[in-house]
Amino acid sequence: MQNYAVQQNLVRWSLLGILGSMLLLGKVVFAAQDVGRMLKTMADPAGAPFFPVVMQLLQVLTWALHMVFVWTSVGGLLLSIYALTKKEDNYQRLARGLIELSKVSVSLAIVIGVAPLLFYQVIYDPLWYSSANLSASWYIMFIVLLLVGYYLLWFAYFRRASTSQSMLFSIGSVVLLLFVGFIIHVVNYQSLFPERWVQWYTSGGTTMNHHGWGIYAFHPFRYLSLLVFPSLTVTGIFMMLYGWYFGKREDIGKEYASWVARLGSRVAFYGSALWFVSHILHIATIPSEWGVKGSVFSILSIVVMALFVGVAFMAQKSPVSTSIPLLLACTVNTLFIAILREYIRVASTARFGYSIYEYKVNLELLSPMLFLGTTLGGLLLYAYAWWMAYQAGRTPKGKVYEASETEHRLGDLSVFLVTLWAMVFIGVGLIVIVRNYV
Amino acid sequence: MEHLIGFYPMWYVPSVGSATVIAIIATIHVLASHTSVGASILLAYLATKAHRENQPQIYDYIKKYLLALLVFSYVSGSITGPGIWFSATVANPRGISALIHNFVWVWAAEWIWFVAEVTLVYILYYTLGRIDQKSWLRLAWTFAIGSWATMYIIVGILSFMLSPGHEKWFTTGNILDAFYNKNYFPHLFMRSAYMFAIAGTIGLVIASLMKKDISEKVYKDIVKTMSYWGIGGVILGSVFFGWYFSTLPERSIAMLTSIVPTWYYALIFALLLLVLAHFVLTAISPRFVKVHTAYPVYLLIFFLGIYPEEKIRETIRKPYIAGEFVWVNQVIAKDVPAKGIKSEVPTIQQAGFLAVNPFVPEGLKRITPENEIMAGKAIAILQCSGCHNVTGNSGLRPFAKKFEGMTDKNAVYNFLANYLTPENHPPYMPYFVGKDEELRALSAYVADLVSKGGRVSARIEVPAQNQARIDGR
Ligand code: HEC
Ligand code: HEM
Repeated sequence: MQNYAVQQNLVRWSLLGILGSMLLLGKVVFAAQDVGRMLKTMADPAGAPFFPVVMQLLQVLTWALHMVFVWTSVGGLLLSIYALTKKEDNYQRLARGLIELSKVSVSLAIVIGVAPLLFYQVIYDPLWYSSANLSASWYIMFIVLLLVGYYLLWFAYFRRASTSQSMLFSIGSVVLLLFVGFIIHVVNYQSLFPERWVQWYTSGGTTMNHHGWGIYAFHPFRYLSLLVFPSLTVTGIFMMLYGWYFGKREDIGKEYASWVARLGSRVAFYGSALWFVSHILHIATIPSEWGVKGSVFSILSIVVMALFVGVAFMAQKSPVSTSIPLLLACTVNTLFIAILREYIRVASTARFGYSIYEYKVNLELLSPMLFLGTTLGGLLLYAYAWWMAYQAGRTPKGKVYEASETEHRLGDLSVFLVTLWAMVFIGVGLIVIVRNYV
Repeated sequence: MEHLIGFYPMWYVPSVGSATVIAIIATIHVLASHTSVGASILLAYLATKAHRENQPQIYDYIKKYLLALLVFSYVSGSITGPGIWFSATVANPRGISALIHNFVWVWAAEWIWFVAEVTLVYILYYTLGRIDQKSWLRLAWTFAIGSWATMYIIVGILSFMLSPGHEKWFTTGNILDAFYNKNYFPHLFMRSAYMFAIAGTIGLVIASLMKKDISEKVYKDIVKTMSYWGIGGVILGSVFFGWYFSTLPERSIAMLTSIVPTWYYALIFALLLLVLAHFVLTAISPRFVKVHTAYPVYLLIFFLGIYPEEKIRETIRKPYIAGEFVWVNQVIAKDVPAKGIKSEVPTIQQAGFLAVNPFVPEGLKRITPENEIMAGKAIAILQCSGCHNVTGNSGLRPFAKKFEGMTDKNAVYNFLANYLTPENHPPYMPYFVGKDEELRALSAYVADLVSKGGRVSARIEVPAQNQARIDGR
């Protein structure tokens, strides 16, 4: 008789279980539909002016470039603080060099950051605007703290003759830059959870958190693996490149240059090992339902990074001559990270049927042509400018680099191109205005 | 969730309003960017002069100026540039979205010049005296024209924010029609002229700081150059300002003459005279160049010139935030057939303003006697706070002042129901959108606010009776 009661209970419970999960599943499916609809109505009705996949590609590439300079900014500061704690002349000298690196890098990180921000907002506007607005006040603080942090870095640079002051300013600066990175991390990470936005904003339907001071989600391993450890690694590689580039300049000293490279190779290796560990932990802690963990992108990124760590390990033997191969390995590795990062976003939004490939397109061809033309001209111009900087850097202090005939011609071309661009731009404007208004 | 409109979570800044946050960041940016674009041309000119007349001391001055540019203009300018964008994003996400979805490639082209500008300013600084003069000059001119190019681009986008210019853009959607607005050239020329006055002023500051390090003749030369360019900038800029004014849309002119306070004009006018007088004096005699006069003049440009200018620019755009189809309160109020954009007003009128917003708690979407005041506060924040402080009596056009003495909700309702209508609304303010009971809720909230002395907490609390938990964790 007792058996019968157990059976009865079992049946009862399992029926309840099935019913319960049906309800739950129904709710989930229903909610997913709602979230999907919300995302689609948020997408700008103007549509994208060009094929979304192109925007996506440019976004991923420019983001990778952005991060390289973010990493040398943060890494330069972290390592300079370490170097400042050491008494030896070499370390003191290195610290000053790293502060200089960091100073220039922040400028480049900022200006390059504009590009992914543009492309991202064309195809992922629902994600970016929702997430930024959830933490709106922090989003403003991003600007304020970046400004203060960057000025502290300049103070560290101007006060580089004094170890203690320089150290103080560097610490202040890196704390703020890390915090700024945290804010942008939060905005990126929150955007991956559209199903929770309403709940976050309304605190479960009880209010509206319009003050913008809420921080609703962050992911420590993602933060570490996208910001902190790569910063050390990449700055280490940069130090190796320093040895390679300045090793030939007599007034710098071969000995110092190769010392920097050797230290750099050590930093690059340990940094990359930590980067690898944090990367694995990051992937392991991505919600399983997104289907990212076992994906080919995750596996590839892990394999590539393992190889990269291997190269970094071997590069310690002859840091100067392996600096370029290691740089290449790091570039490939960074691209794989950038792709995986984009895949995480694709996978997360696919749960709600959102796909950028279905983004409405209002094709327009003139402005992409403007961009293309500007980019081609711009690349030539950058090449000339960087090349001249490269030559100047190789010339010992006190000497003047005399440009060759080809370099002079390139210089003329660069002035010609930028002038031509301006004339075309104004000329088209005149034609349009005469046609429309006169 | 029958009807849904893609609104974003609202950000509300009590008292001064999010508009003021944008204005502050924008003012810093305008000062920094105009300084650097103006200076890039002035410095290229000076470098050419130094090379032609063989005056190497001028390079010392250029080097100092470049460092000042790097430390001041580039640090603050390159951060506040994205800063305007960041603040506009959280204050007006759908406005910035409209701009980006139209002009992404134009902006991307501008970005190419930004990168050129930032890398070149460093390269110029580090290579000065380390590469031959001819090569350096070429870099300097590339830098100058490239910097100016960023202005060519942003001016077109700013003009579109005010108005897409030609009416036909709504049907053709042609980017050229939108970009090259009627006021594009006057606007560009005006900024291009004034920037020399700004860069010239800081140029005088730098000159006076290094007076001891350079010969008398070079010093005079530099001061003269800065002063003449400055005088030209102020005069031409003012001429172009007149031209610019004449190309503004009618609604903007109406606003300039009605709601922009007269003392704004007085400030700007006084400032222009001051800057001009300063340059005239320094042109007459370099004795008048003093750090403690030139630098305050520069700061006054910030407070008396650019800040009012930014406020005016923001005001004459009203009630729109972009392209004469997105209102400041994020509602798309006009069809843009060329892009397949439909006005959202009919949907909102039919389904309700709160009901269509995904970020309004369920408990406020249907109005009941218990939640009426809170629903009204939500409407005020969502629909009016872009231009009004809706919870206090200070700061940005405070409701407490605009509705002074109106403590009866029926009185408020009767007033608004006849005033904020599609037919009667003033040109600077959108008409009310939403259902009748929502206008009643707004009125109840306003009356409650006024009767509580004009200040209430900005917090929205959904009464327990109205709370409906939302799915999810
Ligand atoms: C696009 C900006 C904007 C929005 C949005 C806006 N207003 Fe206004 N409002 C103004 C301006 C500008 C004035 C004139 C202020 C002045 O003269 O100082 C004004 C004035 C007023 C006045 C005083 C009467 C008058 O015309 O001078 C009232 C009442 C008012 N607004 C109510 C509202 C309400 C209610 C809402 C929301 C439904 C709202 N406003 C939304 C810009 C706006
Ligand atoms: C020096 C200060 C900065 C630091 C430390 C920093 C750091 C970072 C980090 C860590 C991320 C990745 C976040 C994540 O995915 O979790 C990121 C992404 C991003 N950053 Fe920066 N950043 C800085 C400045 C800027 C600036 C000034 C801009 C804009 C102009 C910018 C634009 C972006 C954008 C758009 C992304 C996301 C791109 C994408 O998802 O494709 N950053 N940044």
